[in-house]
Amino acid sequence: MNHNPQAWGRPRDDVYGAYNSQYLPQHHGGPSAHPTTHTQSPIVTGTSVIAIKYSTGVVIAADNLASYGSLARFTDVKRLKPFNRKAVVGFGGDVSDMQYLDRLLSSLDVQENYSHNNDDPEDTKALMSAKNLHTYLAKVMYKRRSDFNPLWNSLLICGLDEKNKPFLATADLLGTTYSAPTLATGFGAHLAQPLLRKAVPDEEASQKLDKETAVEVVRECMKVLFYRDARSMNEYSIAVVDEKGVELKEKEKLENQSWAFADQIRGYGTQTV
Amino acid sequence: MAALSSYSMPTEQPAFSFQNQPQSHASGGPTQHSFYPYTDNGGSTLGISGSSFTIIAGDTRMTSGYNILTRYAPKLFRIGGEGPEHAGAKIVLSVVGFAADGQALQERLDMVVKMYRYQHGKDMSVHACAQRLSHILYNKRFFPYYVQAILGGIDEEGVGALYSYDPVGSYEREQCRAAGAAASLIMPFLDNQVNLKNQYEPDAPQGLEKPQLQPQPLDRQTVEELVRDAFTSAVERHIEVGDGLQMMVITKDGIEELYSPLKQD
Amino acid sequence: MNSLVARYSRPAFQNEGYGEEEQQQALADFASPLSLNFALPPVASSASWLRAMTDDHSNPNCPIKIAHGTTTLAFRFKGGIIVATDSRATAGNWIASQTVKKVIEINSCLLGTMAGGAADCQYWLAYLGMQCRLHELRHKRRISVAAASKILANLVYSYKGKGLSMGTMCAGVTPSEGPALYYIDSDGTRLAGNLFCVGSGQTFAYGVLDAEYKYELEDDEALELGRRSILAATHRDAFSGGFINLYHIQEAGWTKHGFSDTNPIFWETKLKKGEFSNVTSELV
Repeated sequence: MNHNPQAWGRPRDDVYGAYNSQYLPQHHGGPSAHPTTHTQSPIVTGTSVIAIKYSTGVVIAADNLASYGSLARFTDVKRLKPFNRKAVVGFGGDVSDMQYLDRLLSSLDVQENYSHNNDDPEDTKALMSAKNLHTYLAKVMYKRRSDFNPLWNSLLICGLDEKNKPFLATADLLGTTYSAPTLATGFGAHLAQPLLRKAVPDEEASQKLDKETAVEVVRECMKVLFYRDARSMNEYSIAVVDEKGVELKEKEKLENQSWAFADQIRGYGTQTV
Repeated sequence: MAALSSYSMPTEQPAFSFQNQPQSHASGGPTQHSFYPYTDNGGSTLGISGSSFTIIAGDTRMTSGYNILTRYAPKLFRIGGEGPEHAGAKIVLSVVGFAADGQALQERLDMVVKMYRYQHGKDMSVHACAQRLSHILYNKRFFPYYVQAILGGIDEEGVGALYSYDPVGSYEREQCRAAGAAASLIMPFLDNQVNLKNQYEPDAPQGLEKPQLQPQPLDRQTVEELVRDAFTSAVERHIEVGDGLQMMVITKDGIEELYSPLKQD
Repeated sequence: MNSLVARYSRPAFQNEGYGEEEQQQALADFASPLSLNFALPPVASSASWLRAMTDDHSNPNCPIKIAHGTTTLAFRFKGGIIVATDSRATAGNWIASQTVKKVIEINSCLLGTMAGGAADCQYWLAYLGMQCRLHELRHKRRISVAAASKILANLVYSYKGKGLSMGTMCAGVTPSEGPALYYIDSDGTRLAGNLFCVGSGQTFAYGVLDAEYKYELEDDEALELGRRSILAATHRDAFSGGFINLYHIQEAGWTKHGFSDTNPIFWETKLKKGEFSNVTSELV
């Protein structure tokens, strides 16, 4: 312990070694450039996932691209995974961690199916709701971050809660969770979220929204994301979860694209005029 | 030889036998690069206790960097009571800092309080709960929860009780406390309005004998107004505060929850 | 091998989440609140990691700012022991509190003081209080100050290098020892002595205390000296301030002599006694 008045009670270098800011991010005084690491950052990644709640259900979408850095590596990776007929999980971030989580959920689903008959549409009491699934996944993510071995994903969990009300929430690699009528991960938080919030500013508005408008807004957002997100593609998956179950389409194409804005872009790359 | 040169050689000037200035870890020794497990989710909380009530308030914005993640993420949690709805609870915990740690802390304390009731057949007093929260925080002394907590309730005499914590569990019972991003904006305001700091009897003559104004317990309406003023002002000057104001008023009859909108810009 | 088979023969989700041991640990925590099992960050050098997160002196921008306490003093004299502290806690440059109780009442005749990490002092002195009570129950007599301070010293020594920060004094009067005063810090140092000042304001307090101290002080002189020493420290050390907390320990137990605001005491000392002539009272 340091006994000098200026640093009283603080650790002393000759006992604790020099102060090591390597553990910190830059905004807390950490180094400006970290060395390249290959085990603690994502490799093959998926970009944004977006979702919106409407009066009786939830719409969620994510494109089918898995990028390897800037390389558009795999073009048919499905990033929406239905859990049971009440829930869908959308995965952003590392694809291998997504596949691990998918296996995790499959084994959980098997276990759940033993304990109760999943095929009977009347019997929904014991069926795991989207809310239950979110709690579970949030715990898995928080446990992994506490072990310093995070699953490098941001998840959107959507579907119906135990009272069959629309449910939408997120969990990320730190275990942070939150809920909102509209959610978007990754680049979508910057590009799509303002558009989604314009359609649905608050909970009240989402209860008035009908399914067709919700799907339309989400399709529009996927288009805007494709215009500007360089890690996106024009084929995507979209799922609607409501009391009828999960309706998942995995080969949707963007329609009515308009690139008229493109020749207005100035000052990017080598183009200066 | 490298080791030798790091010893400070005797000089003419008086000096310490060890390095006085903190060194940063630029040279020598292996370094381990690891995952950074924290983030700051912004927001602010505030608690004021009165003679028969305690009010705890927090904004409902949750941020990450410059992004608003959601406009409704409560920072106030009921502790104890019956079932997942905490029916009949009389203790409120507010946490600000890293939201996932806050959630984990809340679940942990809630479990302790519920287990206490199950094992002892009576509710835990706020005093005991406050000490227990300190121990839970200190249990992670070497891997801290990145949170500033405020705990509120009614003590055994029926008086409002408010306890504030640092991230590793040092705690103190106070009249009022602000925590989180806008603590430095709100706390001086509370010092002035609740603790009447640096205010003197206006009619008394100037001089050493001029008596300081003594803080009096405030009534509920005044406190509610103070809380609203504190937050509307903080919203004006802090980017991480806004969207909604959640307030919990704890009295001997239970917890009353109030919500009012704040600016969303 | 068996554990390997077990690992892969059960569903994947059972490998995720908390293991048997961690659950046992969580349950054990409920049984004994003052536990000695602390969660550690899963890195090779946890002390270095903790320092990176919390050392606000080396890195004013560090994420977790722990509340620190500052000037405390205690001295022995013929009438017992005087213990005096300021009341400021700082987290970085932010004054976290001006009303910290830095004298911790371990029991009716033992006092501890708090400097360094506020949580460290609170927790370990509470732990010491528990051990002292257990000693009383086991041996049917009060613990000596020497023994109590040694419990604490041995305890913090076992955590040496882990990142604790505390400088504390244990003071008490027992029939066997008379007035006894010990200094213990988180390096594991334990010293008996007549007079100690601890904290960032220690040098200023020593200045006043050493100049005026003698063993033959009367009770009121001793109290005044304790108060005046803390006042000097709050005047010159930015990390000290708030209120002066004064205690006097005699064989019957301790008595509290106020928790008084420094500001009026400062002006009274200046204007009535003519001290602090470095400060002008007129606006020039």
